[in-house]
Amino acid sequence: MMNKKKAATMSAAVLLASMALAGCGSNNDGGNAANTPAKNEPANTAANTTNASTGNAGTDAATTDGAKLTGDFEIQYFVGGYGDKWWTKVIADFQAANPDLHVKALGGPKINEQNKPRWIGGNPPDFVYIDGPELNDRQMVEDGQLEDLTDWIKDAKNVDGDKIIDILAQPPQQYDGKIYNIPLVLNSWGIFWNKALFKEKGWTEPQDFQQFMDVSDKIKSAGITPFIHTGKYPYYINGAFLYPAIVSANGGDYKILQDMAANKVEAYQSPSVLTALNKIVALRDKGFIDKASIQINHTDSQMLFLQNKDAFIPNGLWLPNEMSKDIPQGFDFGFIPSITQDAGQKIVANTSTATVAIAKNAKNKDAAKAFLQFVFSKAQASQWAELSGAPSNIKGDISASNAPSFVKDAAKYLTDPNTVVIPTITFNADVDKAMQDATDALTISKITPEEWVTRVTDVVKKAAK
Amino acid sequence: MESGSAKWQRRLFIALFIIPTFAFFCLFTIYPVAKGLYYSMFDWSGMSQNKDFIGFDNFIEMFKDPIIWRAIGNDYFLVLGKVVGIMVLATFFAVALTRFNFKLAGFFRSIFFIPNVISVVVIGVLWNFIYNPQIGFLNAFLSLFTDEKVTITWLGFTNHTIWMLLPPAIWAGIGFYMILLIAAIQNIPASYFEAANLEGAGQWKQFVNITVPLIWEQMKVSILNIMMTTLNGSFVIVWIMTEGGPDNSTQVMGSYLYQMAFRQYHFGFGAAIGVLILVLSLITTVLLQRLLRHESVELS
Repeated sequence: MMNKKKAATMSAAVLLASMALAGCGSNNDGGNAANTPAKNEPANTAANTTNASTGNAGTDAATTDGAKLTGDFEIQYFVGGYGDKWWTKVIADFQAANPDLHVKALGGPKINEQNKPRWIGGNPPDFVYIDGPELNDRQMVEDGQLEDLTDWIKDAKNVDGDKIIDILAQPPQQYDGKIYNIPLVLNSWGIFWNKALFKEKGWTEPQDFQQFMDVSDKIKSAGITPFIHTGKYPYYINGAFLYPAIVSANGGDYKILQDMAANKVEAYQSPSVLTALNKIVALRDKGFIDKASIQINHTDSQMLFLQNKDAFIPNGLWLPNEMSKDIPQGFDFGFIPSITQDAGQKIVANTSTATVAIAKNAKNKDAAKAFLQFVFSKAQASQWAELSGAPSNIKGDISASNAPSFVKDAAKYLTDPNTVVIPTITFNADVDKAMQDATDALTISKITPEEWVTRVTDVVKKAAK
Repeated sequence: MESGSAKWQRRLFIALFIIPTFAFFCLFTIYPVAKGLYYSMFDWSGMSQNKDFIGFDNFIEMFKDPIIWRAIGNDYFLVLGKVVGIMVLATFFAVALTRFNFKLAGFFRSIFFIPNVISVVVIGVLWNFIYNPQIGFLNAFLSLFTDEKVTITWLGFTNHTIWMLLPPAIWAGIGFYMILLIAAIQNIPASYFEAANLEGAGQWKQFVNITVPLIWEQMKVSILNIMMTTLNGSFVIVWIMTEGGPDNSTQVMGSYLYQMAFRQYHFGFGAAIGVLILVLSLITTVLLQRLLRHESVELS
């Protein structure tokens, strides 16, 4: 079972990493899976893939002018669901490649809080992995904490001589046209179901919203609740259901989400938003949403899903890994990045990433840039997938044997040029919270879609000041 | 008549006790309070090196925020609910375990005190399971009396969820105050009750006319302590059970402070909420003390 899960993760890494990009255009917002609590991240599975060349990448990292790296170099990394095996290994490799450099690893589940005084005091570590609680890329950019990498990344090559920008599955986010952080981890939101249950009951696996509603009717008639979500953390339903629905309603153009993230009020007032919200209302009014959703956390909702008490769940590709110890025998994950598109419309994949950056006040920026060149290599992509059990943001072909069906499904969609892949988007924290609260309120009939829009736009106007 | 040396020695002796305590108090109480006041005057994310001085803007913004009013209301709802719930039950148990002689009094005393030694975090998790709509004890119990399975979302009603936080909060607090009141009741000489019995006073009359007046000081301390610990400590139970949701319906000042300072990156605003908690705690303490002013009855 575990091997299957490991393979699944590895495969997801492969497939996501090698997917074709739909819309590599710039986006003016930061993406951050980082703000999701550590508990939302995939559990660490140290998969033992055989073909990952995990040895020292071998190339001496050096400054752009070829000088040896010297002095102290500090790396801050949060340890959550992805574990710290990759960080330990890559830092050791980098140290070995640069013997004159004194690399200091500052990692742990509480590192963000522990290092906060240093960031406030203007004495931050040189390099930071933006993940876990109390770190938000957009906020760090607004606070002027991150180095502007816009010019550097244009031509930066990794240790293999490949242009970094060319091998990223998802491009770096842009803030007013500038780049400050580079996505290291790649994941996708989507809707899961149990293929085995569907097969047993003879239900059709849905490909669009109408099919989803039709099969949900059958599911409900069979005494199973069609849909459960994590009401305590409504960003699950927003990320996997609402945002793709908005993009679908907007003709597959994700610029609307980027405009929303840029606090443009008119984007929130677009008919596409109302159309998407009405899809939640349709689910709600048909009695498809499990009433338990509103008060439960991700673990509880996932457990109910795994027990076949609920047929669909909005979640991220980390779900099978996260619940690996609780997956019943015979459970077969089905996955589709979005379920809210109308018949004939493109599927929408809403990605989520965790990024790395260099501190603006870094004392050893040369080493930090060299480290970026070191980690964004194909060898490290394999190593990341192997040691963290999560998809990397680096395109690379690491073999995908024994991939379970949900990974194949994910691949099928994510590598399909007809899939709209949304670059990760980070909303302003206040706006994000307002949207989460409003979506929760909408699911329990407390407000109407119009009130959702009014409520959120009020917060957007304030945030835009 | 003390000599100069003896006077100096006495002062030194007193100073040796007072100065370290005062230094600790300044360092761990006065300084953080002052720092909180200072931060509340700034627009600061809590992460940036730059803080913009904005005077009282955070407070103005705070009082315009409908969520803060809901949080204040929830806080005082919990104060009132806990004071009534804990005091009634703790007094009842204290009287029952002291005034009525029965075999298992010691056992029940321990049982009632157990929730007090459990961490509030554990209590929150435990009650989350009790309230779970699908696998919770409460719905399972109610289902025994119904034809259909009960699936009430106890923590999912935006208008009533705050009520659901009262039982765990009361349950967790009874033990300590019960022990406090038991100690007070046991200090009342038995002859008082014996005399009352001879006069034909029933248990209720004895309770109203002897027990309550003689343990009033402890009751007052209990009420004040419940009030202060609730205003300052409801955060934990709220955060563990609901995180202030759904839709901010169970937000209390402490949880909203945390939400704004650490989740939404408005540290200055969070500090302003901290100042509000301090001010409201002080005002409520003074008011309660006046309200509870009662001529003490002393044991002769």
